[in-house]
Amino acid sequence: MELLDRYLQAVKKHLPWQGQDDIIAELRANLEAQLEDKEAELGRLLTKEEMEEWLKQIGAPIQVAGRYQRQQYLIGPAVFPTYWYVLRLVLIWSTAIYSIAKVVETAVNGQGAEAYLNAALGLPWMWLISAAFITLTFAVIEMTGARFLSKMTPLAPMGPVWSPADLPQIDSSEKKPRSFALALAEVIFGCLFLVWLLLVPRFPFLMFGPGAWYLQASPYTLAPVCLTFYWSLVCLNAFELTWKIVVFIRGAWQGPKRWRHLSMHALSLIPLSILVTAPGHVLVQVKGSAPDAAGLVARVAEANSGIHKAVVLVVAIVVLQLIWGIVRASLDTYRNRVAAMQ
Amino acid sequence: MTLTENLFENLRMELRRGCLTLAVLAQLKQEHYGYTLRKALAGRGMEIDESTLYPLLRRLEAQGLLTSEWRDEDKRNKRFYRLSGDGQLIFARLVKEWEEINAAVTNLL
Repeated sequence: MELLDRYLQAVKKHLPWQGQDDIIAELRANLEAQLEDKEAELGRLLTKEEMEEWLKQIGAPIQVAGRYQRQQYLIGPAVFPTYWYVLRLVLIWSTAIYSIAKVVETAVNGQGAEAYLNAALGLPWMWLISAAFITLTFAVIEMTGARFLSKMTPLAPMGPVWSPADLPQIDSSEKKPRSFALALAEVIFGCLFLVWLLLVPRFPFLMFGPGAWYLQASPYTLAPVCLTFYWSLVCLNAFELTWKIVVFIRGAWQGPKRWRHLSMHALSLIPLSILVTAPGHVLVQVKGSAPDAAGLVARVAEANSGIHKAVVLVVAIVVLQLIWGIVRASLDTYRNRVAAMQ
Repeated sequence: MTLTENLFENLRMELRRGCLTLAVLAQLKQEHYGYTLRKALAGRGMEIDESTLYPLLRRLEAQGLLTSEWRDEDKRNKRFYRLSGDGQLIFARLVKEWEEINAAVTNLL
């Protein structure tokens, strides 16, 4: 009996404090009755070894007590799909925001490779903290639901509100072949865009509108690096247009264009890198003939610093988009290959 | 335990889980305390572990399907359970459901 008392004491330690005496009293009555039956059957008391064997069969105290807990899991099956969806979303977005912030911070402060390494090493901690926060939030939702919602009949059947009519359309961007008219329109509009771009230096109002006359009259002018940037843009568009025309002439406009998009996305980093690496980050400068040119220099330096930060941010976003695109395209290619092999 | 045996054991437990509640409710048309209920179920071929049955009784009582009272029997204070009014109604519906499932599965097998 002493062993049974010790066993019940161990079970009690793991029970919820509300009602633990009641549970132990009931469990004791049941186990004692069972023990009496066993002893009556044998015609003698159980030996210490037999008693140990019997208690072992009933189960470890922590497991027996666990069965009396109202909640058997941290996040249950009803909440888990939403938890998993939110967790993935939070991890993706927090990674993107963290990466952009660190790239911009490192570039703007002029730090080196060591800062990038430190930022990369900080990424797992950021994931851990985000996952812990989301898990904790959903555990609280689960606990609240288990304790209170089950007692509120009208609230219990609540679930995510949705309607089949709100479901997104089937993504046919990769599967539906492009029509001849669309491919032709792309070439025509590509030509018109390139012509418009080539006319901009001669007729700046085509890009800046009335602002072109203001720019001409103002004491500011664009730095020479902007011209390099402009010609890199022209080359990029001319290259893309040539590619489209070749594809059109070869009659291959119905083929997938995902990798072409990714290539152009990667090439778009060239003009951006020209702006980022501009000597002294100078994109706008004061005209030599401007009155009070010396007084304007400080304001222009401030403006250039702001523009440089914005361009660095754009580069970071473009790089992340490119990485994301490559990962998705590679995954799709891998899935298609696996599906083809099955 | 091999992978197949492990899988079978999981499926068996899943299959039994729903049946246990029905068996317990059926047996509690008459009053029982935990141990005699376990013996009565085992006598009819439905073995249940102590660590499963006793917490199940408390959960069913918390859900309003059972009523209980502490009473002395054989010089020992015991908690006796039986079906409540709501429990009888739900039990009748569950039996109907069980018969339909049983008929459908028998047809399939």
